[in-house]
Amino acid sequence: MLVLGGVLVAGGVIVTQFLGSAVDYYCNVDEIGTRSGCDDDRRLRVQGTVEADSVELDRGTTTFVITFNGAELPVRYEGEPGGIFKECLPVVVHGQIVDGTLEGDRVEVKHSEEYEAANEDRLEPDPRCEPGTV
Amino acid sequence: MTTTDLDAGTPARTSAPRGTGTRATRVLGIATVVAMAWLVAFGLGFSPADRDQEESVRILYVHVPTIWIAYLAFVVTAISSGCYLFGRKKSLGFDRVAGASAEIGVVFMAVTLIVGALWGRLTWGVFWQWDARLTTTALLFVTYIGYLAVRRLGGSHHQRAKRSAVLGLLAVLEIPLVHWSVRLWRSLHQEATVLRTDGDISMDGLMLFSLFVGVIAFTLLYVWLLLHRSRTMFLEDLIEDRGLDQALAARRAEAEEVRP
Repeated sequence: MLVLGGVLVAGGVIVTQFLGSAVDYYCNVDEIGTRSGCDDDRRLRVQGTVEADSVELDRGTTTFVITFNGAELPVRYEGEPGGIFKECLPVVVHGQIVDGTLEGDRVEVKHSEEYEAANEDRLEPDPRCEPGTV
Repeated sequence: MTTTDLDAGTPARTSAPRGTGTRATRVLGIATVVAMAWLVAFGLGFSPADRDQEESVRILYVHVPTIWIAYLAFVVTAISSGCYLFGRKKSLGFDRVAGASAEIGVVFMAVTLIVGALWGRLTWGVFWQWDARLTTTALLFVTYIGYLAVRRLGGSHHQRAKRSAVLGLLAVLEIPLVHWSVRLWRSLHQEATVLRTDGDISMDGLMLFSLFVGVIAFTLLYVWLLLHRSRTMFLEDLIEDRGLDQALAARRAEAEEVRP
């Protein structure tokens, strides 16, 4: 009975965590200010691709630009993003937009469902660094 | 472990088998070990690193097979539950297979969650995120822990079997929700690579083959564990019945003594 009670509590915690997390609305860059719930004056989770040559690291602060469907959004993040963060990869940034810049407090790197062998001979630019490939 | 078969009435001193191994399970056990060795060779050796994820992609060869076999285990639990509930014989054998399968599914799923968290830290940068896929998976996990708890609530074997069979049939309905959660909601977790409807698999050939080896290896391990576990459950039930018989006999003997 004790285990069963624990299970019910765990289920409740999971559901509330999911709902609490959903408060940070999940938006693509081009939906900010247009899609309902993606207003630029609230906390958001914004999904976009890191623009090539836009990543700059200055005294512990990382700035970069994310794009989606042609729309761009500059991001400032205190610290260095973890995971496999690099240009041309889709990311999800949690934060709030201040003066047109997304002040991110959490950066997560999204991985596509494509798997390709690493090839050191490949020199051509990453073909996936095109808008709308998230 | 002796070679005594569970079903065949060997002319042994005891009516109960003395082990859960048979020739079939031993062959299966050896096949499992060989397949696991293959998985290590392909997963860690022959398969290439990923362009973006580099070496961490190798976690895939455990993460994906374990969750697929966990799904399979829960489907077996549901089918077996249905066989008990709707079968004319009300055979407890089906109930034990259902219970054993759910136990193994929970263990496999724990492996999926643990290596998934490690993989998440390496690629996403976070161990956990309350997104659709991860949340529904966690919910499925605690549902089956609840199922196992219900099995231990007590009562007769048939009470246990009936209660858990109903739950086993309901809980399996969560699996489609977990699988399509990445399509239903926007999620940090990527969409399906292999189990997709358009059949367009974007995966390096050797990676796909390594994944296939993983699925074979964990399927063999699952069947091997299922056979042994359902047999030990049979023995557990037998011990309980014997205990009850002995208690009844003792009580009757006591009553005989009191009577003049």
